[in-house]
Amino acid sequence: MNGIDTHSGKDHLFYRSMRFCGWSGVVAVTFFIIGGMILGGMLPPMLSPDEPAAEFARRVSDHVVAIRIGSVFLIFSFALFGALAAGIAAQTRRFEKAPAFSYLQLMFGASGTVVAVLVAFSWALMSFRPDEYDPAVVQMLIDFAYFLALFSVPVFSGWCLVIALPILFANEGEEPFPRWIAFFNLWAAVLYAPGLMILFFKSGIFSWSGIVALWIPFTAFFLWILVMSWGILKGAGSARG
Amino acid sequence: MTSPDSAVSSAVSERTKPHVPGELGIWCFVAGDLAVFTVFFVLIALGNGDQAQVFAQSRASLELWIGVLNTLLLLSGSWLVATAVERCRESVQSGSGPDTRGAALQFALAILTGVLFVANKSLEWGIKIAHGITPATNDFFMYFFVFTGIHLFHVLIGLGVLIALRRVSRRERLDSKALRTIESGATFWHLVDLLWIVLFALFYLI
Repeated sequence: MNGIDTHSGKDHLFYRSMRFCGWSGVVAVTFFIIGGMILGGMLPPMLSPDEPAAEFARRVSDHVVAIRIGSVFLIFSFALFGALAAGIAAQTRRFEKAPAFSYLQLMFGASGTVVAVLVAFSWALMSFRPDEYDPAVVQMLIDFAYFLALFSVPVFSGWCLVIALPILFANEGEEPFPRWIAFFNLWAAVLYAPGLMILFFKSGIFSWSGIVALWIPFTAFFLWILVMSWGILKGAGSARG
Repeated sequence: MTSPDSAVSSAVSERTKPHVPGELGIWCFVAGDLAVFTVFFVLIALGNGDQAQVFAQSRASLELWIGVLNTLLLLSGSWLVATAVERCRESVQSGSGPDTRGAALQFALAILTGVLFVANKSLEWGIKIAHGITPATNDFFMYFFVFTGIHLFHVLIGLGVLIALRRVSRRERLDSKALRTIESGATFWHLVDLLWIVLFALFYLI
């Protein structure tokens, strides 16, 4: 009843939900690769922030169909962050007496999902009428997308931190995730930080098209999703017994 | 059934065998951070190759003594932390807590070296900015301010870690779990030191 086998104490419904959350992360990364990398031109960036507005409008207009299809994949990819966040919080909650860190994780995860979904909105909107908008508006929408994704450091670093702490504070054998995942989260939290620099540079390695402020945080983030998906699936496995 | 005491002593003997300090996770972090800093080092080296003249001139305008002083500060800090960890390890081995007061003092002195590093770095940046040199001056100073800034961020996190270690070392009794925390935190501080030595060489010496 309710998916709970009272004889063995195994919770099959929980197992299935957690598998859904875990695989959501994998699907989110796959959809980002299709929507953001192959079609959408988000990574590698199709433009650099020091190019003139007219160049932004021209480039978007040239690739308008690919960007639109890419944006559809992107919004599905980013919406799935919510499922990932729920899976991480559910696994953390199993080892808490009273919920505290799992609530924090949900707050950060929900904020992060909203921020990420807005990236996809911005990307879709710039391809809606690139020839009718003033070129500066197209430029601003691209800036806005990268600012949402990269300048949102405290949201995503904070999320990683509240995942790491309950693992580190736990007694031996009562960690929600393996201890190395805590350190992996701390590492990811540090790597998002260079994203703050995009406000101060319009060209070079610290701008939103540069290796330090764009590639390092993005790589860390998508690697982080895969690691957390693995962690959730492993947690689901342990719940199955 | 083992009594709690024998469980502790077997845990202790487990810890006194040759082992990797800290735990797997902290080395995962160290490897990850080193990988990213390697990218930074390569970027600095590429910049140095592309704009040899600008980099040489800018490098000559850095105050070498500030860099040397900062290196000495971090090296002393690392030495203090390493000896403090050794004391804690001995304390865990002997099963009592005789010498942890000394360890706490050494952690406090290590914190002092870190604070002096931050003060010295602020002084260096202050002098440069007072002379009108900012990240916008040229690529050398852009790299200099940002990469030493990212390192400074590591130093600040490291100071937080050292404060936590000092608190742990002041406990009445250190167990193997406390020692693991101390060793992991110390490993991070050594990483901060190591990264600075490479940055120091790349910015001040080459």
